[in-house]
Amino acid sequence: MNFFWRRKREGLKEELDSHLQMAAQERMARGEGVTHARQSARRELGNAALIRETTRDVWGWRWLETLLQDLRYALRMLRKTPVITGIALLSLALGIGANTAIFSLIDAVMLRMLPVQNPEQLAQIEFRSPTSPRPRPNVTNPIWEQVRSHQDVFSGVFAWSPQTFNLSVGGEVNKINGIYASGDYFSVLGVRPAAGRLMAASDDIRNCSGVAVLGYGFWQSHYGGAESAVGSSIRLNGHSFPIVGVAQRGFFGTDVGEKLDVAIPICAEATLAGKDSSLDVRDDWWLSMMGRLKPGMTIEQADARMKVLSPQLFGAVVPQVWPAKYQDAFRKYTFSIFPGASGTGGFYGLRQHYRQPLEILMFVVGLVLLIACANIASLLLARSAARQKEIAVRLALGASRGRLIRQVLTESIVLSGGGAILGVLFARWGSALLVRFVSTQQNQVFLDLKMDGRVLAFTIAITVLCGLLFGILPALGSTRVDAMSAMKEGQTQATGGRSHSSALRWIVAAQVALSLILLIGTGLFIRTFANLMTLDAGFDRNNVLMVQTNIHNAGIAEPARAPLYGQMLAKLRALPGVVSASQCWMTPLSGYQWDNSLTVPGHPLPAGIDPDTFLNWVTPGYFETMRTPLLEGRTFDSRDTATSTPVVIVNQLLARRYFGSQSPIGEHLMGGSEGMLRQPMEIIGVVQDTKYTSLQEHFQPEAYFPLSQIQKNVAEDSTFEIRTTMPPSVLIPAVRDAMASVNKLASLQFTTLKQEADDSVAQQHLMAVLSGFFGGLALLLTAIGLYGVMAYVVTLRTHEIGIRMALGAQRSSILRLVMRDAVIVLAAGIAAGLLGSIWITQLVKRLLFGLTPNDPVTIALAIAAIVMVAFVATYIPVRRAMKVDPMVALRYE
Amino acid sequence: MKARYQNRIELLQGTLDLLILQTLQWGPQHGYSISQAIRIGSGEILQVDTGSLYPALHRLERQRWIKAEWKISENKQRVRVYRLTPTGKRQLAHEKSRWEQISDAIAGIIAPREGSNA
Repeated sequence: MNFFWRRKREGLKEELDSHLQMAAQERMARGEGVTHARQSARRELGNAALIRETTRDVWGWRWLETLLQDLRYALRMLRKTPVITGIALLSLALGIGANTAIFSLIDAVMLRMLPVQNPEQLAQIEFRSPTSPRPRPNVTNPIWEQVRSHQDVFSGVFAWSPQTFNLSVGGEVNKINGIYASGDYFSVLGVRPAAGRLMAASDDIRNCSGVAVLGYGFWQSHYGGAESAVGSSIRLNGHSFPIVGVAQRGFFGTDVGEKLDVAIPICAEATLAGKDSSLDVRDDWWLSMMGRLKPGMTIEQADARMKVLSPQLFGAVVPQVWPAKYQDAFRKYTFSIFPGASGTGGFYGLRQHYRQPLEILMFVVGLVLLIACANIASLLLARSAARQKEIAVRLALGASRGRLIRQVLTESIVLSGGGAILGVLFARWGSALLVRFVSTQQNQVFLDLKMDGRVLAFTIAITVLCGLLFGILPALGSTRVDAMSAMKEGQTQATGGRSHSSALRWIVAAQVALSLILLIGTGLFIRTFANLMTLDAGFDRNNVLMVQTNIHNAGIAEPARAPLYGQMLAKLRALPGVVSASQCWMTPLSGYQWDNSLTVPGHPLPAGIDPDTFLNWVTPGYFETMRTPLLEGRTFDSRDTATSTPVVIVNQLLARRYFGSQSPIGEHLMGGSEGMLRQPMEIIGVVQDTKYTSLQEHFQPEAYFPLSQIQKNVAEDSTFEIRTTMPPSVLIPAVRDAMASVNKLASLQFTTLKQEADDSVAQQHLMAVLSGFFGGLALLLTAIGLYGVMAYVVTLRTHEIGIRMALGAQRSSILRLVMRDAVIVLAAGIAAGLLGSIWITQLVKRLLFGLTPNDPVTIALAIAAIVMVAFVATYIPVRRAMKVDPMVALRYE
Repeated sequence: MKARYQNRIELLQGTLDLLILQTLQWGPQHGYSISQAIRIGSGEILQVDTGSLYPALHRLERQRWIKAEWKISENKQRVRVYRLTPTGKRQLAHEKSRWEQISDAIAGIIAPREGSNA
């Protein structure tokens, strides 16, 4: 194509040359001299280049030609100023990359539809209780069975429950993510098998032996994608299941953020849970439900129909063990149908938990990109000032302004295109990093982060927008030139320069404002995280190894469990490097809780205060190991046995709530429906408040019972805490051996209290690190912008400064002259930024901990940072202004 | 400067096309000889501007009314020679009749027939 064009262009040139030659020959034939004839012929012909151009216009694809020309010109100009180009490319790459990364996360978490057949037909089946405003997504198995057999609005329904399964039998846990799925799960979704067959309705009937379907990724990583996997068996939590097939590639289940390694039928829960099975329990809420709408049916119609069916369906499965009042409420439950095309928000609430952080981050990176654009605009504007003479010459030679604007815009689009390409590379790495940030040890987040059409369209859109945004001002500014005056040396700086520098000031003031907003946000998030990391959680999180233990596979009856735990604890305490060890049921900060309503006879709570108390059973040594200070009384010891007086330790909050300033020691606590809580328990000690489920929660009333007095709820899973003298991880092999020596079948999972604490603030950590990074980036970009503008202004005024100095102006007055510019720009920017931040920071209120959105310290620090950076950025050019030699400056013209 | 050329093309549009097609009716010619033919044919009155001629030639070629090929001239020079195509001939007839209509109409206005304003 290119070759064809060149030939055609050369042909045109030759045609005109021959015309010229013939005209000259004719003149010579008439007797004119050779030189004269040629000159006259040329004069008669006119501007040959222009004729060629006008003729080429006729060919029709001139636009493409000029585009290529502009591209070539753009690349040449960009190469000519490598530093500016480099800075622009880098800031664009970071800006566009960050935007793409965050958007691809938003896409994966909130927008994208499930990779199944006609996902838009899917609907989530949830229900509402008359007392709570929010729909509840999880139902019991009896409710699911009612829906399965009696609904008539969906062409198919299915239920599932995410679950982690342990591949190893005893010893350290090897966790994989799986689901219990109803028989129709795959067929209703329309998922095809990659190998073997998928589950069928006949696989999910009571008393089944169970089958397993593997996820594609798990099949690849654990079986190398071998067909022979189908037909072999897989051990999950110690039970063997035949593998019947593999789900299609790209299918990750219906919960966003969770990976699907294996699916087994719901009926298999009876096999795995034994007598604790939830299949017939009417108040165990563990299943999610979805349905596929019949063709032509809308969400609203389905919702209306399901509401009609609700009394009948719920009425059939009322939990008989509930008090009558709650049973009545249960009968009033109604189903609510929601669109399900994008799957659920994840069992652990990934979508709900990260929606706001992601939206805020999107806003933050948007601001960063704006700042970067402003920066590039000012760089290009300053550079275009240097190019004014060239542009004036081109205008004088007949270039149209439109064409020149197109050329400058082409240049900026090329720049942003280059930045976008680098940015996409950066985004691929960045978004994977983000997912790692969001993942915790307990909950590995899995997201399919492929670059789909939506992400691509987003990136292209912001790239073009960016290019136009930072290109339009320089393009308009640089071509608004009076050719005559611009070509006269010296005039440039007096006229064109002034309007440029005022545009530049506006841009920089805007940058300062945006950066200040970002910095205040950054400060808020960093201080929130710092507050969480340094708060007194009621325990010392360093040097504590946590061993989560599950003895299900050992098959030990409840009465024999406490003695077994006692043996394990004795072994652990004997290990070298162990300061103390203890055991509890509810691992602190794990997100799990055991709570119940407690009462103190003779001390009624004022109305409106929730009697809910957070509970735990622990062994002697627990408070010593956790280093939770004992404030009054004593902790548990060998005196507290199954036959001695039932005792309880409470926290400060509970003590103060019931007894005010009086000592609670010797008082009694009781309540709740659970067997062991029916009897009054004597309060023997008061400990400091501790964080229970997570660091950011408020302290709750807490009560601790000794394991030795627990009759029910001696669970198969519990946690040993070991305070060590060395880094906790060093102790893991010794602990593993010690536990195996007591019982080989106990499953172990290791973590540290520090890790638990860190995981419970993963979201705040993410916000602090990312906003810190972007705030710093914004500050750096603003510094570059400020420096560039000041340097430019000083250059423009060199002549003026020279004259002033020659006339006897003092250095200090020159300093005032130059600094006044910077101070005005800075002050305007800070004022605008403050106004903006007052409004904007209100939006992040919910994500803050221990401070208000208008935290004065944060605002003061942010302003200080901006002022300091601005000072450094202006110092260098200002110093140059003060060193101006009047003689040199005057001669310069 | 560019603007000036564009103005002329517009002024002569149609008319120049007609002149070129008419000139080529007598046989294939290159650009220079076309301009000479028009100049001489009009008794030196019509000076065809080169800046209008070549765009017009290339436009007519694009419309397939004329065809171009490279030939060697009597001066051993490579020249681009234009030739009328059959569609070009039809177009010429069409343009001619249109021109006659226009010139009749203009003549009617500029030089009214005797007695009409009596």
